[in-house]
Amino acid sequence: MFAIENLHKSFLAAGAEVRAVDGISLEVETGKLITLLGPSGCGKTTTLRCLAGLERPQTGRIVIGNRTVFDSAKRVFVAASDRGIGMVFQSYAIWPHMSVFENVAFPLRVSRAKKYSAAEIRERVSRMLDLVQLTGFAWRPATQLSGGQQQRLAFARGLVHEPAILLLDEPLSNLDAKLREQMRLELKRLQRSLGITTVYVTHDQSEALALSDEIAVFDSGRIVQRGAPQDIYRQPNSRFVADFVGSANFLPGTVRGTQGNLTRVDTAHGLMHCIFAEPIDAGMRALVIARPEDILLFDGAAVGAPTDGLNALNGKIVNRVFLGEVVDYIVDLGDRELRARLRSDEFQIGQAVTLGLPPQKCVGLPG
Amino acid sequence: MSGAQYVAAIDPARDVFRLPRWRWRRPNLLLIVCVVIGLWLVLVPLAGLLLTAFTEDTGLGFGAFTFDNFVEAYSSERMLPLIGNSLIYASGTAIVTFAIGGAIAWVVERTDAPGSTLFHNLALISFAIPGLLLAMAWIFVLSPNIGWVNAALKSAFGLRAAPFNIYSMAGMIWTLSSHYFPLAYLILGPALRALDVRMEEAGVVSGARYRQVLPKITLPLLRPAILSGLLLLFIMGLSSYEVPRVIGLPARIDVFTTAIQNATVETPPEFGVASALSLTLLGVCLVAVYFYRRATRNAEAFATITGKGYMPTRIALGRWRWPVSIGIVGVFLIALGVPLFTLAWQSFFSNLSQPFMNSPPSATLANYAYILRYPIFLDAVRTSVLVSAMAATFAVALTLVMAWIARRSASRLAWLLDALASAPIAIPSVIIGASILFTYLVIPIGVYDTIWILFIAYATLALPYGMRFASNGIAQIHRELEEAAEISGALPGQVLWRVVLPLLLPFLLAAWIYTFVLSVRELGASIFLIGPGTNVLATISLTMWEEGGSYGAVAALGILQIAPLLLIVAGLRYLETRVHRRTRGGSAMARSTG
Repeated sequence: MFAIENLHKSFLAAGAEVRAVDGISLEVETGKLITLLGPSGCGKTTTLRCLAGLERPQTGRIVIGNRTVFDSAKRVFVAASDRGIGMVFQSYAIWPHMSVFENVAFPLRVSRAKKYSAAEIRERVSRMLDLVQLTGFAWRPATQLSGGQQQRLAFARGLVHEPAILLLDEPLSNLDAKLREQMRLELKRLQRSLGITTVYVTHDQSEALALSDEIAVFDSGRIVQRGAPQDIYRQPNSRFVADFVGSANFLPGTVRGTQGNLTRVDTAHGLMHCIFAEPIDAGMRALVIARPEDILLFDGAAVGAPTDGLNALNGKIVNRVFLGEVVDYIVDLGDRELRARLRSDEFQIGQAVTLGLPPQKCVGLPG
Repeated sequence: MSGAQYVAAIDPARDVFRLPRWRWRRPNLLLIVCVVIGLWLVLVPLAGLLLTAFTEDTGLGFGAFTFDNFVEAYSSERMLPLIGNSLIYASGTAIVTFAIGGAIAWVVERTDAPGSTLFHNLALISFAIPGLLLAMAWIFVLSPNIGWVNAALKSAFGLRAAPFNIYSMAGMIWTLSSHYFPLAYLILGPALRALDVRMEEAGVVSGARYRQVLPKITLPLLRPAILSGLLLLFIMGLSSYEVPRVIGLPARIDVFTTAIQNATVETPPEFGVASALSLTLLGVCLVAVYFYRRATRNAEAFATITGKGYMPTRIALGRWRWPVSIGIVGVFLIALGVPLFTLAWQSFFSNLSQPFMNSPPSATLANYAYILRYPIFLDAVRTSVLVSAMAATFAVALTLVMAWIARRSASRLAWLLDALASAPIAIPSVIIGASILFTYLVIPIGVYDTIWILFIAYATLALPYGMRFASNGIAQIHRELEEAAEISGALPGQVLWRVVLPLLLPFLLAAWIYTFVLSVRELGASIFLIGPGTNVLATISLTMWEEGGSYGAVAALGILQIAPLLLIVAGLRYLETRVHRRTRGGSAMARSTG
């Protein structure tokens, strides 16, 4: 496990102070994979580098295992080389002057906690190479590996000294789409089987959703929401999170009242029923959020469209984007456009439609 | 593990202003040592120069403050021609070398003409040729009296006067240009290579023809590179000493560098006047450096450098491919081949022998036998090799540490290291020599008249080149390569030894050879600093030339220097190409500027 308390880190960039990390707190249990997700410049990578010991924060405290590695109050700073962590860099940072074997053996060769014999090193390195499916590549020059192989090599090097935590800095961003998906699965399998506490930094929300036990969404140096992938996706707590994780439609309105678990919001397009995580008073401004894949479409000309129990809106299709397994329809409501994602490709541009939004899937936010 | 945990003072205010990526346990000690050495090498001699310039000549020690030295220097009727000659000589050289080097750079980098690797290698290797010997060789080719080309043309066309006269301003410019045009190519090549072809392609796609793209897109994008290249060549022309000494002196064409040296050998020596002249030349150089900095400062705003995977499309020359290549071969042959061939030819005959002219007398190895048994030559070889090796080793080691700290340290002083190590590039070697002479005549640490005073001069002159190689090398090491080692548990020393040093090895080797060859070639500073027991190769060559050694002996002495130097540099080039092919698997790095 590790814990970060109230971490602050700022830089001076072009004469102005930039608060890269502005009061981050986070604790993660052993064996979990947490993803730090956010747009570039949100502080996720700086947080990771502070955890690694590659950056020194101004204030805060970092505990890895049961050891305090940084504490500004007690003036403790443990160097990166003494933190006992593994890390995979965005560039992989494979040393070009060493063989595959030597790259993996390096952490063992420089180890001070435990001295390894040549036989032990051979044994452990070949075990790691087997694990990442690089058996037989040991004596190749590291530069001769393909992108995916270098990536696996970086994992082997990060894991060979049995670190307490594994830090991954956008490790898949340099791979092509197909390989990325394959490596994603492999990574998850590896992490599960080793049971290693892992911190994963990415700006790719689909990676985050697919891999994580938990996601921390970053914005401007702060964590804006933390939770399981489903919770982050289903119950975003802000417009930023809803927009950044997946895509979302927004309808502003005024709260009219609550009945049971459904709250009524009056919007420019009629009364909408939706779910608020926290109770909200009538008369407050609110935002109704609907995911494109939750929206149903009905032919507007057909009489008595089955919209019972749904929030119904009327509009006209202005664009459709064929994506293969699904089709995105852009529906003009008059003052705004909504995106609906359907399996069906029966609707045409120009067609008048009725949109059905299931209330249970509409999230209300104070706004 | 717990013992390795160390407590460090945390000062938030200090950390705010820069990314402290490396935490040296004794950051300041190493930094201070480097700054002190840098200050000593660069600023102490300049201080000596200033003192000498503004005090009365007492012959020994410093006299009272005075402007007399400047008055004397500037009131001389030779001052105006001196300034005029220097400027014409330097700008003439800059323009001629730029034209030749620029044309080669364009062909090598941007067209499909064959032989680009050959031309690149030739340019790199040609720097091994000492300028002094090349100037002598040109006299054998183009002197009105003994030049064989003149003789050949006279007899072929029945001319009465020699068509070429090497003892002229044009002759000086041509001689230095034949030496510096490969450098001009090496300066301009990278700029042309870095130019993103897509910028030109965008112009073409917008409907422009290539002849419109060139003036409207290519040249404006290259403006900083062109300007800075011209200024650099101008500074190098101002600083050059060998050609003015060997050709300008007999032709009575004085430039600053020769005038400075002349003043110190007057009886009594006019150190004050020499210093005043040095400061004037230094001033001109600094102005040029100022404009050079301005030209390069905004270079990044042009954003012509692109990332990986960029493959320049080359202009197809069609049936002009071979003629263009042959033309460039011709340039190398005329500028370097002809003089070197002439020198080699002459080295096999004791009396003047003009190739293709008179039926050659029987060739002999007597000149080589004479030189190889000449005690002064053997002493000079020993001194040159020893001092140059020492200076190269010292400069490479020092600049490696300096470049390393400059990139790693969070200290405010870090920039100073770069500035100090780069400063000597703006100081002509003649001024380095003169100022070191004035300084260590006064500072009683007993280096005067020993090899150590040469060592100080060579090390100072080598600093900028060492720094360039080291910081270029360090810049190529992705910082994550070092961080990965740190994360793996390596201490700073282990990171340096096991990751950084092996990756830098090709750069350090190149830096060592480069600075070594530079020191062996060196004349401008050496001429002030040699003593009876400390002759070096360049100075004995000059002495033998000026004091009337036989033509054959002088030529043999020259060939005995050029051949090993060429071999060393060609060997390095071969090694470099192999190392890069092995470790990088690509050619992107194979063309490090040298």
